[in-house]
Amino acid sequence: MLSLSHLHKAYREPDARPVLQDVNLELHPGEYIAIVGESGSGKSTLLNLVAGLELPDSGKILLDNRDLTTLDDGARTRLRRSRMGFVFQAFLLLPHLTVLDNAALSLKLNGVAHREAQQRAHAMLEAVGLSGLVHRFPGTLSGGESQRVAIARALAHRPQVVLADEPTGNLDPGSAGQVLALLREQIRSCNSIGILVTHSMAAAASADRCYRLDGGVLRPE
Amino acid sequence: MIRAAWQALVGGPLRSSPGRTLLAVLAIACGIALGFSVHLVNASAAAEFRRAALQLAGEADLVIRGPRQGFDEMLYPRIAGLPGIAIASPALEFQASRTAAAPALKIIGIDALRARELQPALFAGEALPAIDLFDPDNILLSAAAARAFGVSTGDRLDFLAGTETVRLRVAAILPDGAYRQPLGIMDIAAAQWRFGMTGTLHRIDVRVEPQADMLSVQRSLQTLLPAGVHVLSPDAENRRSAALTRAYRTNLDMLALIALFTGAFVVYSTQTLAILRRRMQISLLRALGVSRPAVLGLLLGEGAAIGAAGGLIGIAAGGLLAHQLLAASGVDLGAGYFRQMQANLHVEPVTLVFFLLLGVVFAVIGTLAPALEISGLPPAQGLRAGDPAGQTPGSRPLRYGLAAIAGAALLLWLPHPGELPLPGYAAIALLLLGSVLVLPPVAIGLLRALPLQLPMPHALGLARLIATPRHVAISMSSILVSFSLVVAMLLMIHSFRTSLDTWLHQVLPADIHVRAASSGETGYLTPAVQQRITELPGLQRVEFLRSVNLLLHPQRPAMTLIARDPGDGGFARTLPLVDTPPALPEGSPPAAWISELVADVLQLRPGDRLLLPLGEQPQAWIVAGIWRDYARQNGAIVIDRADYIRLTGDLRINDLAAWLAPGVTVEAAADGIRHAIGNGSALDIADTRDIRRLSLAIFDRTFAVTWALQIAALAIGLLGVGLAFSAQALARRQEFGMLRHLGMTRREIAVMLAGEGALSSAVGALCGMACGGVIGLLLIRVINRQSFHWSMDLAVPWLLLPLLFCSIVLCAALAARCTAVLATRSEMTRAVREDW
Amino acid sequence: MLLATLPALGLGRAQAAETPATAFAAVRPDYRISFPHDHGSHPEYRVEWWYVTGWLRSAGHPDRGFQITFFRARPRLTAGNPSRFNPEHVIIAHAAIADSRHGRLLHVQRAARQGFGLAGSETGNTRVWLDQWQLVRDGPRYRSVIAAPEMGLNLVMTPGQPPLLQGVQGYSRKGPGAESASHYYSIPHLRVAGELRAGGNVQAVTGEAWLDHEWSSSYLEPDAAGWDWMGINLADGGAVMAFRIRDRRGCTLWTGGAWRDAAGRTRNFRPEEVQLVPLRRWRSPRTGADYPVAFTVTAGPVEFSLEPLMDDQENDTRATTGAVYWEGAMRAYRQGREIGRGYLELTGYLRPLAI
Repeated sequence: MLSLSHLHKAYREPDARPVLQDVNLELHPGEYIAIVGESGSGKSTLLNLVAGLELPDSGKILLDNRDLTTLDDGARTRLRRSRMGFVFQAFLLLPHLTVLDNAALSLKLNGVAHREAQQRAHAMLEAVGLSGLVHRFPGTLSGGESQRVAIARALAHRPQVVLADEPTGNLDPGSAGQVLALLREQIRSCNSIGILVTHSMAAAASADRCYRLDGGVLRPE
Repeated sequence: MIRAAWQALVGGPLRSSPGRTLLAVLAIACGIALGFSVHLVNASAAAEFRRAALQLAGEADLVIRGPRQGFDEMLYPRIAGLPGIAIASPALEFQASRTAAAPALKIIGIDALRARELQPALFAGEALPAIDLFDPDNILLSAAAARAFGVSTGDRLDFLAGTETVRLRVAAILPDGAYRQPLGIMDIAAAQWRFGMTGTLHRIDVRVEPQADMLSVQRSLQTLLPAGVHVLSPDAENRRSAALTRAYRTNLDMLALIALFTGAFVVYSTQTLAILRRRMQISLLRALGVSRPAVLGLLLGEGAAIGAAGGLIGIAAGGLLAHQLLAASGVDLGAGYFRQMQANLHVEPVTLVFFLLLGVVFAVIGTLAPALEISGLPPAQGLRAGDPAGQTPGSRPLRYGLAAIAGAALLLWLPHPGELPLPGYAAIALLLLGSVLVLPPVAIGLLRALPLQLPMPHALGLARLIATPRHVAISMSSILVSFSLVVAMLLMIHSFRTSLDTWLHQVLPADIHVRAASSGETGYLTPAVQQRITELPGLQRVEFLRSVNLLLHPQRPAMTLIARDPGDGGFARTLPLVDTPPALPEGSPPAAWISELVADVLQLRPGDRLLLPLGEQPQAWIVAGIWRDYARQNGAIVIDRADYIRLTGDLRINDLAAWLAPGVTVEAAADGIRHAIGNGSALDIADTRDIRRLSLAIFDRTFAVTWALQIAALAIGLLGVGLAFSAQALARRQEFGMLRHLGMTRREIAVMLAGEGALSSAVGALCGMACGGVIGLLLIRVINRQSFHWSMDLAVPWLLLPLLFCSIVLCAALAARCTAVLATRSEMTRAVREDW
Repeated sequence: MLLATLPALGLGRAQAAETPATAFAAVRPDYRISFPHDHGSHPEYRVEWWYVTGWLRSAGHPDRGFQITFFRARPRLTAGNPSRFNPEHVIIAHAAIADSRHGRLLHVQRAARQGFGLAGSETGNTRVWLDQWQLVRDGPRYRSVIAAPEMGLNLVMTPGQPPLLQGVQGYSRKGPGAESASHYYSIPHLRVAGELRAGGNVQAVTGEAWLDHEWSSSYLEPDAAGWDWMGINLADGGAVMAFRIRDRRGCTLWTGGAWRDAAGRTRNFRPEEVQLVPLRRWRSPRTGADYPVAFTVTAGPVEFSLEPLMDDQENDTRATTGAVYWEGAMRAYRQGREIGRGYLELTGYLRPLAI
């Protein structure tokens, strides 16, 4: 279970406007929510806090009753490596690795042996419908295909939490729909908690629930 | 338009990241500084040498010069009386040995009345008329000599004639400008008398009548001269002395040029990376309508500016460095060629401009290839995302590289002009170039052969290396170039030192060596003294040696003739021969054993005949064998002392080697010998072990300067690695950010980068080791053989090379890690949201 | 008379006492000069010179003066040097031409140690040479060759009168001390014919000259600074020589002279009979030395004034003898009428001669 309680965050800038104010959220395995908001509304900060990349000024982030905010950077990194998956707007595949190697990356980072990692990555790629492209390099893929590889990479190690940051921002409407459907399907099949951050209401509609972040305050849409 | 383009392309990036441009400037500055300083030191040495030699020759039109033991003075009236001769000025010129261990002094015995018009230096001012030069106790010193000995007018100086002490009074010290080198001037009659040289001259300076034909006078003079005495123009005389050091100086020049080459390579690397990085800006400008030549011009202009800035800094730093070198170790950088000579830094404006232009040219050349490539790229392709550095290298560089290596092999068959091994150096340059071109495919092959299942962060790094050959090639070839130069020099120096050590044991077999004087030519031991030494109870066996000088080749300095006892088993066993000597036919003339230089210069092989001007008539000798001589750089010939005495009647000796009786200490034997001679304080009696130690110490000092070059080469190589990684690091910020998201720690990313650096430098260093080994062999077998005429046996520094390999890999890993981490200091995780 | 100052060669130096030094023959009042033997060299004496001065005529050119001097000097040496270069004797030669068109002397100098046949002086008759330069007595005539790039002289000089022995039978006192003296004879009224070359321009010349031959081992008193000397061929066939030795304060230390009248009678002057009164001085722009270049001369009954051919006849021979002196062609006048021609020598004006 992922639980955020009373999160506060402000950056040390002259005006020190709070980015997040008293954010509370509780998510259970299999839940898939969307968070919408204008640019600069604190979406990315919220995502970074959940991922353990940043720390809140106050409040707690509990993952299976472990408070992330009390862990050091190393522990948070290990937690992120084993329990979380990421999908980025710019795909961020490694151009010098094959599709298969890209998909196997998080498995390998978690210490899964080469052969097993490749088998599991292959199965994952099959699941996202790319079994024919496993030996291609990312440079030769379309945007939709690239993002599907990224989804395979994010879910290959069966993470508890999947964080998707504007995953359709670089895609045409057709591919975007496909990718969103795939993402929802895979999160479900892994029984993960999914958080989709977007400013597109159409994308947000693919989630179970939708929240709006406005002036640092999170409220249900 | 162009101004705007310049602003977008050059000015902006320069302001946002001045560090990278600074690195390129520093690389050029480094190369120019090294090249310029070595050139300056060399040029100053050469100019000093020339000035000193010209001053000594004065205003003579021709110089008649004999061997070091001189020629009959009755030649003088015959030459003075020759038609066409206006003035003939006779002179003695010798290295007078000092008592005690003081260094020898060159003394010139002149007839001041004759020398007056040929030696303006001596008669400038009124120094000479004020003193009594005829007084046989008087000597005039040049200012340099007075400084070297720390004496002033009225002081006494003790010299050695045989084993007798000659005490001279410093009658005057010549003004500073008179003669640059340390020397003493005496009256010719006084010098002949006091140093036991009556009847002998070393030199006659000649002024030819203004209307006479120089060449015909020179010809008629030569017919008068006995064998071993030559007539030269002062210019040839000067060249002859300069020949002594030319090879050494050229070699240093070449080393400096190689440093410059390495610097230019770094510029190429930096510019390639810088241009790749700006490919978007460049394509954008092209899309906005800036023409291809304009873009090309901008990029080349930037290169030229970097070159000019680097050149300026390099010249300043080089001048400073040269000044320090001159002050610290003298004009020969400690090699001992120009002892006691004082040199001023000699800078000509032309040289300054030349080195400045050199910096610009090298920088422009370094920029040319990437600039051409990028400006030729269609703008649309350049604007698209994707890393052009990811392209696999084509087969063209491989073919060019192989061609260059083949060319290097061919060059070695070319004849070399004089003693300058230019084809050898060209071969080294081609070999380096070829290796750099061949390296990327070879390196990728090597990396692919590595097992892919490296532990995690390194597997990623390896994949990255294989995938980006362009970037990898740059860091690898930086290492290759610098490491191969270092390996080559180490190999050569180690081989030389090992060979020298072996040689020293061969040529110094006895327990002690005694010289009549520690330096100079006027000390000797008479037969009576020799007899007394032979009879000393503490000595088991004594070998005597007489060395004199012979002018065998008018264009070359005098060679040394060594007449000594053959020792146990004859010269075939006691000399460090190059090859097994052939059996000589019955009834051959007496045997002469020549050093490698003599064999090369006079083109002699064992079995050939050789005329030596000894005794009344030149005598025929047969070349019995060729030996290795590291001591006498002008060549040496060894003959049996019995033959020498038979021909010349000269029973004196300069040196002796003695084997001690059991239980006798070196000190006891030395005391015995000094006692036997009476006036033994001037004797130089040395424990053979000390001589060996001293010789090796001198060797190490001579090559000390190459350490500076090696360190510079390594630094430049590491700079290349750092540059390549810092350039990639910026492009890789998104990758690092993604990896952080995926759960890699900062440490793991740093380890991955260090691994990449280590891997690429290891491959570069391995290839460098191979290339450097070949260059080392070229230095040993070609360059040294051709320029110094000495051979050496290959010896590999087995301990040092792996050590060096490990340290350069470690340094490269650190350099890669530090530069990359520095470049990504800002929060990596934010980079995942940047779009390009 | 003349120049005896060869400090460069160590001729006049105080000697280092520890080494056995060269011994010189002493000048003696009872020495009797005999010819031809005394035309030759006297190597046992310390210094010796043959000194020819005179006037030359040539077509299309004002009359010129000339001077040719050969010195033989014997340095004081440490005994025992077996070298052939040992400078037992040093030969020095000076030559000069005084040409009023040139405005100053054209002069050349050379020095060499005797030996190897290249330079030397013979006994028995006059023969002194230095490379190609020479002065030789050949039968009754003298022949002299000077050949240098700047100038050349090739002259035959024939005596028209017997030698004039100076002092008492050729023993010529130079100071109050009896040891300050020389053996000295002159040959006035030598007829001269030959060639003169200035630069590349060769001209036939004729003229009249005066020869001095003098040798000594102890010439000047320690206090002496220099001398003024003149030798004049008188138009009537007579000849007059007069000199004064000056001390370091510029006062007259000693005077002497001789007069041979037209009839050939010779009279030697006592010191008090000779008076030289400077008329005019000239300062050298090169050295700064201040020379009296014109004189009124009273020598016994002979009285005349001396005027130089030109003021600048300074001769810088520091390279060979270490001395700067004035050696000039002169005209002698009595009541405005020229009565003779000769030479004047002024030494010790830049600094005292170190003898």
